[in-house]
Amino acid sequence: MNSKKKGMTLVTKQRAAGWAFLTPATLMIAIMSFYPMFRAFILSLQTGTGKNMKFTGISNYTRILADKVFQKSIGNTFLYLIIQVPIMLILAILLAQLLNNRDLKLKGFFRTCVFLPCATSLVSYALIFRSLFATDGLINSVLVNLHILDQGYNFLGNSGSAKIVIIIALVWRWTGYNMVFYLSALQNIEYSVYEAAKIDGANGWKTFWGITVPLLRPTIIMTFIMSINGTLQLFDESVNLTKGGPANSTITMSHYIYNTCFINVPNFGYAAAMSFLVFIMVAVLAFINLKVGDTRD
Amino acid sequence: MKKKLLAVLLTGAMAMSLVACGGGSGDTSQDSAAASSDASSSEASSEASSSEGGNKLTIWAWDQTFNILSMQMAADQYAADHEGFEVEIIETSSDDCQTKLTTCANAGDYSTMADIVLMQDNSYQKYLSSYPDAFTDLSNININWDDFGALKQSYSMKDGVHYGVPFDNGAVIACYRTDVLSEAGYTIADLTDITWSRFIEIGKDVHEKTGKYLLSSEANGGDTLMMMIQSCGANFINDSGQAYIVGNEVGDACIDLYVEMIQNDVIKLVNNWDEYISTITNGETAGIVNGNWITATLMTTEDQSGLWEITNMPSVDGVASATNYANNGGSSWYITSNCKNVDLAMDFLASTFGSSTDFYDAILPNTGAIACYLPAGESAVYNEPNAYFNDQAIFSTIVGYSANIPEFISNPYHYEAREAVNTAVINIVNGTDKAAALQEAQETLEFKMSE
Amino acid sequence: MTEKKNKSAIQRRLVPTYVFLTIVSLISVFPLYWMISAATNTSTEVSRGRILPGTHFMENFRNLTAQQPLWRALGNSFFYAILTTVVCLLVCSIAGYGFEIYHDKAKDRLFSILLLAMMVPQVATMVPLFQMFSKAKLLNTAVGFILPMISTPFMIMMFRQNARAFPIDIIEAARIDGLNEVQIFFRMFFPTMRSTYAAAGVITFMNAWNSYLWPKVIMTDNKSLTMPMLIANLITGYVTDYGMLMCGVLFCSIPTMVVFFVLQKQFAEGITGAVK
Repeated sequence: MNSKKKGMTLVTKQRAAGWAFLTPATLMIAIMSFYPMFRAFILSLQTGTGKNMKFTGISNYTRILADKVFQKSIGNTFLYLIIQVPIMLILAILLAQLLNNRDLKLKGFFRTCVFLPCATSLVSYALIFRSLFATDGLINSVLVNLHILDQGYNFLGNSGSAKIVIIIALVWRWTGYNMVFYLSALQNIEYSVYEAAKIDGANGWKTFWGITVPLLRPTIIMTFIMSINGTLQLFDESVNLTKGGPANSTITMSHYIYNTCFINVPNFGYAAAMSFLVFIMVAVLAFINLKVGDTRD
Repeated sequence: MKKKLLAVLLTGAMAMSLVACGGGSGDTSQDSAAASSDASSSEASSEASSSEGGNKLTIWAWDQTFNILSMQMAADQYAADHEGFEVEIIETSSDDCQTKLTTCANAGDYSTMADIVLMQDNSYQKYLSSYPDAFTDLSNININWDDFGALKQSYSMKDGVHYGVPFDNGAVIACYRTDVLSEAGYTIADLTDITWSRFIEIGKDVHEKTGKYLLSSEANGGDTLMMMIQSCGANFINDSGQAYIVGNEVGDACIDLYVEMIQNDVIKLVNNWDEYISTITNGETAGIVNGNWITATLMTTEDQSGLWEITNMPSVDGVASATNYANNGGSSWYITSNCKNVDLAMDFLASTFGSSTDFYDAILPNTGAIACYLPAGESAVYNEPNAYFNDQAIFSTIVGYSANIPEFISNPYHYEAREAVNTAVINIVNGTDKAAALQEAQETLEFKMSE
Repeated sequence: MTEKKNKSAIQRRLVPTYVFLTIVSLISVFPLYWMISAATNTSTEVSRGRILPGTHFMENFRNLTAQQPLWRALGNSFFYAILTTVVCLLVCSIAGYGFEIYHDKAKDRLFSILLLAMMVPQVATMVPLFQMFSKAKLLNTAVGFILPMISTPFMIMMFRQNARAFPIDIIEAARIDGLNEVQIFFRMFFPTMRSTYAAAGVITFMNAWNSYLWPKVIMTDNKSLTMPMLIANLITGYVTDYGMLMCGVLFCSIPTMVVFFVLQKQFAEGITGAVK
């Protein structure tokens, strides 16, 4: 009797502890993110500048339907998403898998090298990518010397190749970053699982698909959601590598929203409306991901 | 033990931040002060601007060797006969100044603004029209406005009221490599007072004979086209403030010339500012047309010293109002509405930037900042030969140009218009029909100007 | 004897791996090499595309320190980044632990809602946030600087996912030993999840170190200059000295790399080593 009562309080205590652990973070997010989001939503129902804002209902949302540049930016952003995210994540898992080999020497060295791109300052990274892909840049010199091209190609000046440069830059910068998550997750998997698989005669490829990928599933979902979020809010590359050009062919949604606030005559109501559209897109994609990926019931 | 210590530290840090996040309480600033031993001091929560009746002004400006240095020299000069006067200059790029101003204005709290801010002439009108309450009008300042060119004044004016004290001059100059020109059989005189079609003839010839371009221009966000149209006293926005790309005869003439230059290897179209600079340092291009502030960049390429000379820009063919002069860039000082000591700020600006030839003479050798203050151009300092430009007296020449720049109506939508026409040009070069490309640009601009 | 043979056979089989990793490393490191090399060249040389190292490093460095308060900016950046990292890791790891170890339907639902917080572009929430901070008198304070960065759904998610690998038996055993819930977190989870903390620490430090827009908007005096602001100062003048710029960029990049280098051993060791 006595012990049962004690058990009850323990469970209650545990439950309380569980909620208490969540409270600080949840409160902070509510104050620092949800409240401002709510305010931004109110803003999206208004038009005007500065203090002269007035409610105009959903006019900012219908304005999106007439905005060809923003529509173009949606297309660009999704193109980056579809092409870049899979390439990057597969490459990242592959690298993490290779680097998780106990027999591999110089592991620390390779690991550091692969991670370095995302620790490289944006300024230098933008500068070098621009100069590498310039008409008389290193890439063109190599291609001309190998007689692949007759003369330098203006990679950043043509809409198709400019998009490719942005994708290459993104893969270069973020693969190592994602690799870190996979590697740290792989470390949590008992090495003996692999040894057992090896004894069972599974080859590298089989181990990869049969053991690594399933065990990494939560991490893969996490990086997928992060990458969707990061790509749909892509800003740095569009601003710094191409300025959204040529002729808006590389501009991203966030870049356009930023321009609407700070480069053009400020229109915060409209910017907030576009931001909410981005929000809805990310949320839907993330939700699908969670549903498809989460096997735990 | 170590872990325990870490845990204690972590908990302490969190507790602190949670207390602070409660916000608004009186001891918040003490918490933050304790948290940031030297990063932000106990005056952290105090306002950014001067206190009332104080002798200190805070200022935002963005170039150490140019406008910041000029401002510092102005402050030193003013402090000489105003004991205790000082300025704190906070390096804030023009983009950041705009971001901060926009954020403050929309949040309705200007308390983090500096007393005096420097802003680009091309972007000022959009802030004045959007946030008129952010600035102090200068009706009472002691400046003889006739000492500044009419166009330069118009950038910082609305409805006849002055808001800014003009600082650096943005008069457009054309710079040419005389060695490349003479290799192709031309002199600087052949490029003076010419039209763009003559420029194209020479440019084709130069490219054929030397392989060099006569001009480089940025494809996105470049100003070449804007300079061309403004040299005719026109714009892509008409006098009543409407988008005016389709049916704009002057604009059509400019776009035709610009496209022709790109297609005939007269202009090298580059993708960004770095490439623009490297076409100069690499010697790939033999000419530049830009605001005169470009001379500072040129002069860093020391091994080209003595090879460059300046003259006026070409004029647009077949346009009655065409001239060889335009303005690009330049900036002015503004007193914000957060300034608690407006009288001091006005007196300071008026007695230095607004009226002192001595001041302009003093800053020129150190900063290369060419005045918009017209009387300054007559002084001896402005007539000194410049070795980099083959001993031309470039400063007085530039001041001379600035008197000839035709006026046009400046408006808040400068960047929108520039982006729309630059996009149209790229589309035309890539084969889109001109009428269709311009129609699209017109619609884009109209859309951006609507609410 | 046979063991030796085995080892060399293993290494031989790894040759393609070495080749692949070497190529990837070279591509990854090249811009870094270029950055270092550019920091030793003059502006004109950089602009002309010189790739080889030069002899102007000291000159660039002297120009940089003469023009910008490099040491103060480094100090500020370290202060803000470390403070942010420590608080963020604590807040988020506790939450991640709470979500996973005590998970139930309600908490899972709450977590999904929290995830939404990272999906709105920052530009949209900046103005309302600024307004709140202005009312709370937090403009121009260190607290104002770090507060929006310390609780991120991403970090909570990372700790939550990684907590799945944390053996529940350890918790049960600890409870039987009479440890309370808070003690279990600090004595069991905290040391065991070293690899996760290290990886999360690297990422948070990097984000905090590089944060620019928000700090620039709310900090208003020269005293709070950080490294990214210093770099911005170097590119906003009418004339860009590329040599000096890259010298500054080098100083801005080194700390994040060092943090990674120091912590990577931790996260590469992982849970297996720590439990035993």
